[in-house]
Amino acid sequence: MIEVQDLTIDYETASGRLRAADAVSFTLAPSEVLGLVGESGSGKSTVALALLGHVAATARLVRGQVLLRGENLLSLPPALLAASRGRRIGFVPQNPAAGLSPHLRVGGQFVELVLQHGVVGSRQEAMTLARDQFALVGLPEPHQLVRRYPHELSGGQQQRVCIAMAVACRPELLVLDEPTTGLDVTTQARIIDLLKDLRSRFDIGMLYVTHDLGVLAQIADRVGVMYAGRLVEIARADRLFSNAGHPYSRGLIASVASVEGTTVRARRLRGMLRRKELPAGCAFFPRCDQSEPSCADRPQALECVSDGHSVACQRWKAILTQSTATVEAETQSVSSRTANPAPLVRLDDVSITYDRRSVWRRLLGCKDRLVVKDLTFSIGEGEIVGLVGESGSGKSTIARALSGLLAPVRGDIRFRGLPLPRLADRSLDLRRDIQYVFQNPDASLNPRERVHTALSRPLLLYFKPDHREADQRTRQILQEVHLEPSYATRFPDQLSGGERQRVALARALVARPAVILCDEILSALDVSVQASIIELLAGLRRETGVAMLFISHDLAVVRHLADQTGVLFRGALVEFGRTEMLFQPPFHPYTEELLLAVPAYRKQARRSRPSASLKTRTPSSHGCVYASRCQHHRGRICDEEVPPWRHTVSGHAIRCHIPLSELENERVIGIDEDGARLAAAIS
Amino acid sequence: MIFRLLSLRFLTAALTLLAVSAIVFAAVEILPGDVATSVLGQFSSETARAALREQLHLNEPALHRYLLWLGGVLHGDLGIALSSRRPITEILWPRVANSLILSGAAVVLYIPLALLPAIAQARHRNRPLDQVLSTSTLVLASVPDFLLALILLVIFVVVLPLLPAASVVTDSTSFGDWLRALLLPASTLAIVMAVYAGRMLRDNLIEVLEAQHILMARLRGLPEWRVIWRHAVPNAVIPTLNVTALNLTYLAGGVVIVEKVFGFPGFGSLMIDAIRFRDVPLIEITVLIASAVYVLANLFADLAALLLNPKLRQARA
Amino acid sequence: MTAWTTTSATSRSRRLWESAPASFKVGVAMLIGHILLASVGPFVAPFGSAEIGTGIPLSGMSLAHPMGVDQIGRDVFSRVLYGAHIVIVLSLAGTALGLVIGSLVGLLSAYVGGLFDEIAQRVIEAFVSIPYLVLGLLAVYAAGPGLAGQPALMVIVIAIVYAPRIARMARAAALDIVTRDFVTAARLRGDGAWSIIRRDLAPNAASTLLVEFALRTGYAPALIGAFGFLGFGVQPPTPEWGLMISENRNLILVSPVTVLGPGLTLASLVVAVNLTAEGLARILGRSADFSVR
Repeated sequence: MIEVQDLTIDYETASGRLRAADAVSFTLAPSEVLGLVGESGSGKSTVALALLGHVAATARLVRGQVLLRGENLLSLPPALLAASRGRRIGFVPQNPAAGLSPHLRVGGQFVELVLQHGVVGSRQEAMTLARDQFALVGLPEPHQLVRRYPHELSGGQQQRVCIAMAVACRPELLVLDEPTTGLDVTTQARIIDLLKDLRSRFDIGMLYVTHDLGVLAQIADRVGVMYAGRLVEIARADRLFSNAGHPYSRGLIASVASVEGTTVRARRLRGMLRRKELPAGCAFFPRCDQSEPSCADRPQALECVSDGHSVACQRWKAILTQSTATVEAETQSVSSRTANPAPLVRLDDVSITYDRRSVWRRLLGCKDRLVVKDLTFSIGEGEIVGLVGESGSGKSTIARALSGLLAPVRGDIRFRGLPLPRLADRSLDLRRDIQYVFQNPDASLNPRERVHTALSRPLLLYFKPDHREADQRTRQILQEVHLEPSYATRFPDQLSGGERQRVALARALVARPAVILCDEILSALDVSVQASIIELLAGLRRETGVAMLFISHDLAVVRHLADQTGVLFRGALVEFGRTEMLFQPPFHPYTEELLLAVPAYRKQARRSRPSASLKTRTPSSHGCVYASRCQHHRGRICDEEVPPWRHTVSGHAIRCHIPLSELENERVIGIDEDGARLAAAIS
Repeated sequence: MIFRLLSLRFLTAALTLLAVSAIVFAAVEILPGDVATSVLGQFSSETARAALREQLHLNEPALHRYLLWLGGVLHGDLGIALSSRRPITEILWPRVANSLILSGAAVVLYIPLALLPAIAQARHRNRPLDQVLSTSTLVLASVPDFLLALILLVIFVVVLPLLPAASVVTDSTSFGDWLRALLLPASTLAIVMAVYAGRMLRDNLIEVLEAQHILMARLRGLPEWRVIWRHAVPNAVIPTLNVTALNLTYLAGGVVIVEKVFGFPGFGSLMIDAIRFRDVPLIEITVLIASAVYVLANLFADLAALLLNPKLRQARA
Repeated sequence: MTAWTTTSATSRSRRLWESAPASFKVGVAMLIGHILLASVGPFVAPFGSAEIGTGIPLSGMSLAHPMGVDQIGRDVFSRVLYGAHIVIVLSLAGTALGLVIGSLVGLLSAYVGGLFDEIAQRVIEAFVSIPYLVLGLLAVYAAGPGLAGQPALMVIVIAIVYAPRIARMARAAALDIVTRDFVTAARLRGDGAWSIIRRDLAPNAASTLLVEFALRTGYAPALIGAFGFLGFGVQPPTPEWGLMISENRNLILVSPVTVLGPGLTLASLVVAVNLTAEGLARILGRSADFSVR
């Protein structure tokens, strides 16, 4: 149906010409879902947009064609191209908020579209269609929603609107450019369900572009892997995941942390894509462990390896016949620490509000909302405690309170048994003991400081060593975070995101702290990079015995690292206990929702849920925090009374009105021991 | 919600003006030392100075004088001009009216002068037309406004004797003569404002045209004219208004030079004369008014942005 | 301090120069021309700056008098040459002073925050609300008769006019930096306020401030010229260009070159600085609004 031939697009940038797409060729059959995966900068978005006949103003089409049933979209006159867009091919953007015009109501934008393409005759009909389609994609209260402006909708809702508009004209093909990247894990899962539903209903083919392999495992028939603008491998999805031919593909697959608990250790990705240093031959050569010298000179073309499977690597024969070394995670040993270490940090009934700096606000006497309510847990010496929750759950706020940036309104925080004072009142030694690593690697390092300066500042502040000692220690710490000593003279803009996070970690470690507060430190990184950092953290804890508070929205990540984990929802802990226990029944209903949302690896692990069946109630200020969204809602008691803590035999605590025995048996999912399958019984 | 924001803005503006009045008062009456001497000159007699001090209440403490003056202003009593001994209100408002007319004419000329090149630049971004226009804007902006006024004078009065050299207008000037008198000074102001705004307008328009949702609208298959008119233009209105309002702030100071060059009897020349003749009460009032124009123009820009932006309409608490 | 090798400073600057836009190079060339003019001018001027009777008054352009002769008989071209360094020195000094005062206030205000910041904001806002020319005139007046006509007054006036606007810019830049995580990291760590301002805020605000400095310096000659033109700046017989424009203003109908000569020279200086500033901004990765007043 769609055929891309030899697509080559160059971007003109300040530092020269960048080849964003290099001789990319593939076909897409009707009703087929093709996934396109690659790191940031691999050119996948450029290819996706080219499928709609769009080449950016700053880019140039060097050569190539995009044939839709024989017609080359890239050479169509504007009027004909506009006619095809939206009607024959739909597009779902990465950032739904930016994709909708902010000054027009969402219903109006839908109406405009369907009228333009002649799907309906009158405005009246268009409005009715809008309401129907909005209901179809699972938007609540479509009658009211059509009158809303985009900024009044949540991210997930905005994306549903974009999807509704993309399929409004029942196109043959849907191009999706990272449609779920900006969304919460739970929302992401629901959107993917919606897409699967729409696909089966309307037989739409899809080109799904993403950097997240886990998502493709659920939805894609075939998967293409892009690197540095080139298509390096393309195969059926199951084939790719089980036995990929290209070293890069293998590296990508190995990097994805999955719920199963085993990580394929062999051949993780190292280094980063440096556009300026690409060799004449294979672009992946600098990072490849399987290369031979001739790879650098000989350009690699896609070779058909078997039915439907093509690889652009001259070493594919050798690679495919290797066995993938599956090393049982030392991650297991990470999780089985001694049971009751001495509490290093202890929080009791802590409540925190959101800090507002403005003088005006205080003058006007605004009452602040409690972001965290009555929180109690502790972190032991050398223990890693995970905190999981969606955005807005208050997990970062807890880290900030521990760091001293926020003071709790109520409750008691203790460090080594003594009350933890505000930041201004803390001694230098105390500050040294509690270190913080931030989420965004771009903002956590001073762009004007070289790496060694960033590392030596805390060193000089806390320990006042002489120059030689300082140098030595800096070198040593770089080693500990697996960075070469030559990195010391670099500026942050010469490092990749993952490398910057390592430097940020090194900066925290150099102080030899007792506890490190890791605030979503992996969220801004590509999936392939996350795995190596997780391993690093595990190793660090083993070697130095430092404790950590590890905050994340991703359960899979926490599983590999944390000894104990707490699940947060809207500022309250709903479940807490040993991490492995979290993945076994009984589950708190919210934990269940989180688990179901993790894009697991093997497709058969998830059964699809009906897409629009989210029952949401208006949240109340009393009772269980999760009552408004809980699928196991039991009635008034959930809305009015705060649920009690229920403890399992192993010390795991769940906060729910439903007795544990019921949670264990009825309507819940379980993960068996080797963590390879989720068996779901869903109503 | 919006009421709260609006009142907050008004309050801030009022406070700013209050601070300005304090600064002006301090600059004029407190800093120069003995006001009487500076007004009457070093060779004035002691009796004359004493009389002046009496008249201006200079023997009272500074804060008291300030509050007296401020109170007067708020009640509409702007004081007496020293040089002409007439109440300031009498002299002031006709001049202000003249300057307002001049400003109005300038704004009318400015709108096409600023928008047309900016639109052309935005649509042909980075292509030769854009470069040429950008460079000429920069060159034009580098010409000091008084020089620009003089150049225009040379061209339209000397080289092509079309317009009068001096734009003196009185109550008896005919409408036609008014227009001819206004043309040169208004054009000077308009050119300066257009050049001032041109860069910002171009950048804003480019941003609007390259916004994600514009691309999305195109990708949905909407025809170009619809994309521009229904999706792009509405988003361009606010930044344009913003830029224009900020431009108005230039007028408050710009009229000073232009009126001097062309001899136009407006507010600006009044201020210059006041400073030249050390007419303390008049200086205070004229500077305060100039600042008030600035503050009001900013306020207008903020309000326009607030009211027109659907997002800000429901702004954060 | 250490044996770390660093990328050579000279090679980095050479690469910067090569990648600079054409306008930047033109601007720098023009600027160099002006500086040469200023330094060499007085020595090559055909006549003295106050020398009268050099030619027939109002005689217009000629080879001997490229910019004509004013009504007292002085050669305008020579006066322009003599006046070049005045404008440059006064502009640089005034802007530099304004930059120092403004950035200190702005950075400090952003970092300290709280009530201090609120008050500082109001004060800055108040100063900015007075149109720059008016503020300058006010400052001239406030300085009193003693300082009138002194070049030093011009420096102070320019500093007063610029400092609040620069402070606003510096504060905005600093606010943006202060919220970034690495500043929070330094605060959590226990670094002192001064250390943070020096090592975290200032270097990151530096490029914005540098661009600001360049832009303001560009406008300063026009400002000085405006004051001279209105009669409140440097006093005769100093050959300041704005003053000369004013002095010869009445001759414009008869001998426009006496006005256009100094005028266009002044304009070319402003163009030179603006081009350089804009190119600098491009290199540093920022956008420059040269018309910000």
